[in-house]
Amino acid sequence: MTAIAILLAGAAVALGLARWLRLPSVPFLLVAGLLVNVLGLMPERELLEDTLQLGLAFLLFAAGTELNPRRVGSKRSAAVRVGLAQFGVLGAIGFAGVYMLGAPLQEAIYLALALAASSTLLVVRLLQQRRQMFEPFGRLVLGVLLMQDMLVILLLPVLTGLPEGIGETLQGLAGTAVLVVGVLVWVSWVAPLFVLRMRLDDEGLLLVTLATLFIFIGAAVWLGLPMIAGAFLAGVALSGFPVNGIVRGQLASLSDFFLAIFLTALGGLIEIPDAGDLLIAVALIAIVVLVTPPLVTVIAEAAGMSARAAIESGLLLAQTSEFSLVIALQGWSIGHVREEVLTIVAIVTMVTMFLTPFIATNRMTWRLMSLHPLRSRHGLAQPRSGHMLLLGCGDTGMPILETLVTAGHEVVVVDDDPAVIEALRDGEIPCIRGDGSDFDVLRMAGAEQAAVIISTMRRPRDSLHLLTRVRDIPVLVRVFDEEDARRIRQHGGIPISYADAAADDFLAWLEQATEFGLTEERRQRPRE
Amino acid sequence: MTDTLLLRSLGLIIVAAAAVFLLSRRLHVPSIVAYIVTGLLLGPATGLLTISEAIEIISEVGIVLLLFLVGLELSLDKIRDVGKVAIYAGLGQVVFTAAGGLGISVLLGFSLIESIFLATALTFSSTVVVVKLLTQKEELDSLYGRISVGIFLVQDLVVIVILTLLAGLGSAGEVDLRSVGVGVASAFGGMALLLTIALVAGRYVLPPVFAWIAGSLEGLFIWSLSWCFLFVVGAELLHLSIEIGAFIAGISLAQLPYSHELRRRVNPLMNFFIAVFFTTLGLRMEFGAALDAWLPSIVLSLFVLIGNPIIFMWIISRLGYGERTSFLTSVTVAQISEFSFIFATMGVATGLIGDEILSIVALVGLVTISVSAYMILYNHGLYELMHGSWILRRFGAPQDEDDEPVEKPMRGHVIVVGLNSLGLRLVRELTERGETVLAIDTDPAKLAGIEGPTILGSADHSSVLEDANVKDAKLVVSALQIEDINNLLAYRCRAAGIPVSIHAFDRSVVQELREIGANHLMIPKNHGVRRMLDALRERGLVDS
Repeated sequence: MTAIAILLAGAAVALGLARWLRLPSVPFLLVAGLLVNVLGLMPERELLEDTLQLGLAFLLFAAGTELNPRRVGSKRSAAVRVGLAQFGVLGAIGFAGVYMLGAPLQEAIYLALALAASSTLLVVRLLQQRRQMFEPFGRLVLGVLLMQDMLVILLLPVLTGLPEGIGETLQGLAGTAVLVVGVLVWVSWVAPLFVLRMRLDDEGLLLVTLATLFIFIGAAVWLGLPMIAGAFLAGVALSGFPVNGIVRGQLASLSDFFLAIFLTALGGLIEIPDAGDLLIAVALIAIVVLVTPPLVTVIAEAAGMSARAAIESGLLLAQTSEFSLVIALQGWSIGHVREEVLTIVAIVTMVTMFLTPFIATNRMTWRLMSLHPLRSRHGLAQPRSGHMLLLGCGDTGMPILETLVTAGHEVVVVDDDPAVIEALRDGEIPCIRGDGSDFDVLRMAGAEQAAVIISTMRRPRDSLHLLTRVRDIPVLVRVFDEEDARRIRQHGGIPISYADAAADDFLAWLEQATEFGLTEERRQRPRE
Repeated sequence: MTDTLLLRSLGLIIVAAAAVFLLSRRLHVPSIVAYIVTGLLLGPATGLLTISEAIEIISEVGIVLLLFLVGLELSLDKIRDVGKVAIYAGLGQVVFTAAGGLGISVLLGFSLIESIFLATALTFSSTVVVVKLLTQKEELDSLYGRISVGIFLVQDLVVIVILTLLAGLGSAGEVDLRSVGVGVASAFGGMALLLTIALVAGRYVLPPVFAWIAGSLEGLFIWSLSWCFLFVVGAELLHLSIEIGAFIAGISLAQLPYSHELRRRVNPLMNFFIAVFFTTLGLRMEFGAALDAWLPSIVLSLFVLIGNPIIFMWIISRLGYGERTSFLTSVTVAQISEFSFIFATMGVATGLIGDEILSIVALVGLVTISVSAYMILYNHGLYELMHGSWILRRFGAPQDEDDEPVEKPMRGHVIVVGLNSLGLRLVRELTERGETVLAIDTDPAKLAGIEGPTILGSADHSSVLEDANVKDAKLVVSALQIEDINNLLAYRCRAAGIPVSIHAFDRSVVQELREIGANHLMIPKNHGVRRMLDALRERGLVDS
């Protein structure tokens, strides 16, 4: 009891600090564990290892249920390319670096794999906080993370089997294939039967959910695979809609609980590294932070992303993952690597995760944009004045453009999506590919001479940036939040509330629905 | 770390429990019984599983979480008014059951010391079993539920006193009255100390601190659990039971506005740990000699199943409670407790009694817990059956119902999920149109500004929707910008046949929502264009 109380108290302090500083909680949890250990309060080893085992199982299980390829949307092929490239190149560089610094071969392989993945836990949280899940770059990043998580799970059996010989490795792969078949069966038949059709109460749902976890773990161990592969695939087996949502309601608090004490307990395993290990850790941190952004930027741009989106993706992916900890833990538990490797990976993960919110900022993006060699694009064929300037021509901008053009207005468009630009060129609409908050682009679009600027850019911050430059011209800005509207107004812009627009849509429907009689409609439908 | 003993044991327990649970669903077996049967199957029947230290800890955590939940549900005000009945009935029952058990045991031919052990083991009823069932039935909050909890707390204190007695008995061979006195005093002193800390903190410290952390539900959850385990450790240091520590920690958080959401979050965690607890209960049972002693086992079981409720009926109806309340409360005590096993095991360890007694206690435990689980689960039906019969009339309890405030569930209301700018406007507009609007959000700060009824929680939890009584709602509207929750909400509303309108905040979410069959999607761009044009027209930038 005391042990659990101590781990929980450590986690509580860490979460409090993280909330106070508005930073991600993972590094704080690890540090809390470290401190608990330094104070000599860490529970006995056996209990700690049990905690780690359970925590691992739930961490991967929860990660598996979140595996939803639909989230990636249209960015699937780009995500595959970026994911593979980042994984491969970073892994290779990491391997070479560590090997040259004198680490044994096997440890170098584990470290390389640990280096190659970025953190789903952290990035999803950041994207949610910044409301960027649905931006093209957000979709790309989600796809990359999904790709990497799967790669880790697929490669782990290979890695653990490799030292035993090629036969073991093949057996590992075959075992994985068997489990994947099991996942397919589960997703299509078993899970819908038990979760949806049986109408179990909460307790029954929880039992079925956890039984799934343990059945897959059991199968994995029986097939000679690492337990965590089973846990992850068990999650995937429950990731179909709406099973995943129903399961999440039961699972969320369990995984919150186990994740918190898992990370704290893990922090307790970190020891003071010697100079050599510290050097490796510093080298790995440098590789992650310095190589990832340019690497991802180049590949993402090649895969058709805009410069800004590519840079933002690169910055956001520059950290190692909670899966890195899993890899190190796995290697250590079967005696493939020394405990020091765990320490190295924990330090790298702690530092890079801590740095991410400071690296992936708007200011950093613009600083890199100014370094970007390919940024200056063609301006308009002839300079314009008195035109309407539309910034952003996506789902929101397009109907505005259509209405204005039909009414015979002269509209210039700025958008960073190559597909949109191509379509506009075909329609002979004057347009510039670039970012609407980029002053150079604005100059080329004749922003100062425009009669009006309409911004449908997703981020209110971009529009605020624009307002610092453009004066004496009416600027209409699409906003959702009342708070953003206030800020836009303060800076001289004219906010157009899309929250109100959505409400208009609802109210119009409500009028109609009342005519039909909402209640009547319900009576006609059979009730269950 | 290659040792996967814990995972293997847990896996066995969970998978077997799930199988038993699913197979016995038709029989309406209470989950507790399913778990105990699982334990019997894994332990005494097949010997597949033995209890390891880690499993032991997990089952203890189950008890802690369960009692923490009970505390969260019952603020101090709610148990204060049942204090008197709890003390009278709790103490009275201990005396009568112990006396009755002792008499029967002696009559059955047991030696005096054996009879004392048997009688003591029979005296305790199981807090965990009853509270679990009442939580499941959502009747913890009812009058009889509160009285039961009060009685169990009193019994818990009695247990502590007996434990100190036993400790004195074990070491010196004779009862040292002074040390017993000190033990009893320190138990009550400790309890008073914990309670004072809890109440003072609950009054002055926790509200502002938790208001700050509540912006992050994960933070709130972990902080509350830390608070709970802090008290558990405190209780252990003061030689109180972990149950009491957890319960008091729960009480101190009960009056916070987030206690409801907290309960929702602790509940699945508790369900997991408590399943392990009840399974170990089955694992622990050793029947070695019980088959030879079937007669005393059955007699003693009947005494617990029938005698205990009768004693209670008598005491509680004397205190002026109505027949129904007295009956329902009495039914809850018709079983012996997990502590009875521990107590008997301790007795065997000291050499005062033989294995035979332990087996009898195990068998009585199995029978009474299983049967009383059914009795509690179907207590209202049981009462209707017995109502008006001469048996109940003999107690002379008032026939009129004790008045209990019954919350009427909302009907015909409109549920608005997510209080962003859109959600706030929807609440306003719908209220103006004369609808009853219920608002749901995860941020207490946002709910604070709403005049009408609100629920704190995430709309993807089924219990949030149950609390909102979705099945009788007129319409559900989601302003959220979270794809997963919107999809699940749309799915659930469709399954319940309730019209639903969802904020389609991005083009990419539209298709799936249509496939799920949301009745309406709020797509901002249509009216957005109009609003843009209006703004342009106002400034003479386009012709009207």
